[in-house]
Amino acid sequence: MTYLETRRHELRKRRLLMVDGNLTLNSQTLDSGASARAWDAGYWGFASTNDASAAGVERMTQQARGNARAMGRFGRKDALTLPEGTYRGEHAFKGKAAIGQDECVARMAELSAWCKQRYPDLKSTRVLFGDEHHSKWLTTSTGSEVLNSIQRALCYVTFTAIGADGAPVEIMHVVSGKGSLADLDLSPAALERELDDVHRHVRAKCEAVAARGGQHTVVLAPELAGMLAHEAMGHPCEADLVLGGAVTRDLVGQRVGSDLVTMIDVAHTFGGEEVMIPVYADDEGMPARDAMLIDKGILTEFMNSRETAAKLGIRPTGSARAYAPSDEPLVRMRNTVIVPGQSKLEDMIAGVDEGYFLMKTGNGQADSTTEFMFGVSLAYEIKDGKLGRAIRDTTISGSAIKVLQSVDAVSDDIYWNCSGYCGKKQPMVVSMGGPALRAQAHIGGE
Amino acid sequence: MGALELNLQDLAAQTLEGMKRAGFEHAQVTAVHGKLDELGIAHNEPSLLRSTESHKLMLLGIAGGRMASTELSQVDREAVQARIASLYKDAQSAPQDEANAVSSGQHARIVQGPQQGDRELLAAKVKELLAFRAGETPRMMLEEGSCSHQWQRWHTLTTGGSDLAASIGCYSLSAIGAAREGSKSSSYNFTGGSADELASQPAQAYFGLADMMRESERQIDTQPIGGKFLGDVVFTPGAVSDLLGWFLGQLGDTQLISGSSLYQGSVGEVIASPLLTIRSRFDAPGVAAISGDAFAAPPVTLLEQGTLRALTPTLYGSRKTGLKHVPVAGGWDVVAGRTPLSEVIGGVQRGAIVGRLSMGNPAANGNFSGVIKNSFRIDGGAIGPALSETMIAGNMAQMLKDVVAISREQIDGGAQRLPWIRIANLHFS
Repeated sequence: MTYLETRRHELRKRRLLMVDGNLTLNSQTLDSGASARAWDAGYWGFASTNDASAAGVERMTQQARGNARAMGRFGRKDALTLPEGTYRGEHAFKGKAAIGQDECVARMAELSAWCKQRYPDLKSTRVLFGDEHHSKWLTTSTGSEVLNSIQRALCYVTFTAIGADGAPVEIMHVVSGKGSLADLDLSPAALERELDDVHRHVRAKCEAVAARGGQHTVVLAPELAGMLAHEAMGHPCEADLVLGGAVTRDLVGQRVGSDLVTMIDVAHTFGGEEVMIPVYADDEGMPARDAMLIDKGILTEFMNSRETAAKLGIRPTGSARAYAPSDEPLVRMRNTVIVPGQSKLEDMIAGVDEGYFLMKTGNGQADSTTEFMFGVSLAYEIKDGKLGRAIRDTTISGSAIKVLQSVDAVSDDIYWNCSGYCGKKQPMVVSMGGPALRAQAHIGGE
Repeated sequence: MGALELNLQDLAAQTLEGMKRAGFEHAQVTAVHGKLDELGIAHNEPSLLRSTESHKLMLLGIAGGRMASTELSQVDREAVQARIASLYKDAQSAPQDEANAVSSGQHARIVQGPQQGDRELLAAKVKELLAFRAGETPRMMLEEGSCSHQWQRWHTLTTGGSDLAASIGCYSLSAIGAAREGSKSSSYNFTGGSADELASQPAQAYFGLADMMRESERQIDTQPIGGKFLGDVVFTPGAVSDLLGWFLGQLGDTQLISGSSLYQGSVGEVIASPLLTIRSRFDAPGVAAISGDAFAAPPVTLLEQGTLRALTPTLYGSRKTGLKHVPVAGGWDVVAGRTPLSEVIGGVQRGAIVGRLSMGNPAANGNFSGVIKNSFRIDGGAIGPALSETMIAGNMAQMLKDVVAISREQIDGGAQRLPWIRIANLHFS
């Protein structure tokens, strides 16, 4: 079987960075172009250009076909029939009218000045504003005709104080959402309570103590559960990683978490509402559906592309996405979430004799073994059910399976975030969400 | 596409004139044209041939001390004129800042590396790598890999009379995967790099690929390190790269302007072990000796036998902080030591050889903790079993001081040439 997709693609990004009132970055970029990808006799050919005209698309189509044919030098492959799947539709977020750079700068300056006035003890305040708008017009030989338009906006506020030892101490606060910067309320009034909390935490962190390295009972705040979902079991449930040797391949139908753990990679709708990164059809024109990764603790299925679905003989999920106009689609997460439970966060903390409450994270990594890690930039000791001293930056790690099997409480709230990039050859915009979890995990420290 | 045939110098010059006409007093324009041929591997098989061509303009304008920048891939006259007009509005929205400036009086013409790719060579290298995998390391599953030729030429002009051009080509080869046996798997492992040629050696001889694949097979069976203790680590070049990245970040604009760099006032001071020297390598494969703020970048030594010799603020950062402007490009050399690698490892009484450090961003004060991946235990100088679920904790700045041995062997990945480094006194758990 042969297969062909063509994509016209626009990626608009805006980034502004203010360091203590100095605007050090004031940038807008537009990357646009056309690409084609062809499947022929088991090989792919891809070509892209910045010329998105009809002639450009035709030229790329011929080049992609030629590239696929050229791969024949490696010999014949077993015929693999890609799954059918057609979608026709246009999806674009209808948010507020975009604001100009002048409005963005004015809002940043206001926020920056407000922080300086309200928190005079800080050494430095950095404010980053950003938004990006991905528009992809896709046509496939299976009959798909799709416009996927995804917008997200973010704000990072980073407070730096000087710790008791004279060295800098930082905490970053993130606000993110669907749409452009116009759709986020980033006024001091709207952020006052959150930033007061961040300031209180950074003061506490100035007196932080080192974590005791080793296995501990941890309560992960909702802000961290999404990262756990993404890194711990999200990546190992991507079909290309499964084919590459991830241990999850042999675990379908087996218990990988406690009964309390249900994890979904949501395509476009959760709890009756459209999620932050809605994907109705992926960049192969495959209709997107939720991937139920873990159902009450049992590993259920993998996210996939047309090719990986065919190789594994599994039902397509529509998870193939490309970041930039010159990128080919790869299997990517969309909106990965651990489903809320019935516990209350305060009860979960109160139930811990000795452990840690982990509140903020920066980045994380996954592994083929399901051993994961992510950085923890804000955490407190728990002693006799009460929060104690702040601890210094640390790392949480462990076997995702052991950690998820140890989950004994899941809170009834949920926190979504779409501020980061997932890295895997290409970056990708994703969202992640979850409730608070209580589990056993390894903390880095002395 | 007419734009592709455009003379980049003409395009940059026309755009610069357009910016001046729009009201910018100072401006910097870079016109770029690039091509890529990439032969991809997926799941131990050749998978995809990807060709891309791209062109873009990068503009930075200053009017009345107010600055804005942009990139655009549509370079036809109408699109450029429209973007210049909106860029002027963007700049007007920025606060006045006397530190904003563009380079002046810079001149460079650099042609480096293979200007044309050889698809036959790409195919040959992929075949070699896959044959090595199948024959020598059959349990290694290459989830993804690629062999590519990248070529990019660009021309930068500024209103200050700077005129810099480069045409840089290089080959790259990389692989990522995990070794698998039954239901057991190693951690992901990867390596890769860029070079001016890939023809002189077998594919697996470049960038430590053969060692990476062999070691992955030895990492299928792992053990926890067992217990908490203070020990030594030998960072492989892959882990040294993390340490270098943190150090370079401490020397750059964001940390210097916010005053949060640990080395703000430390030029001329001893901040690291006398064994440690870090120099530029701005003529490395895939690198041009031109900085992002349009300065020719002469060689620079950042760290000389433990003494900090330079911070690296941009022109803006320099004008903002009063620190000396040091233009840098992207290539670095952590200078090799005199100790054979076997002795670097042999000197560790209790600790680990660390292939990769999987960690969150180090804290502002340099504190970090991370999981050591692709790593082996060392006891009494002998390499033991591969490790799982093992963490180390320490402080980046202290680690620079605690370097106790540097190997004479290095891995040349192109933009980074790195040795193995032994560091004392890390917390294991």
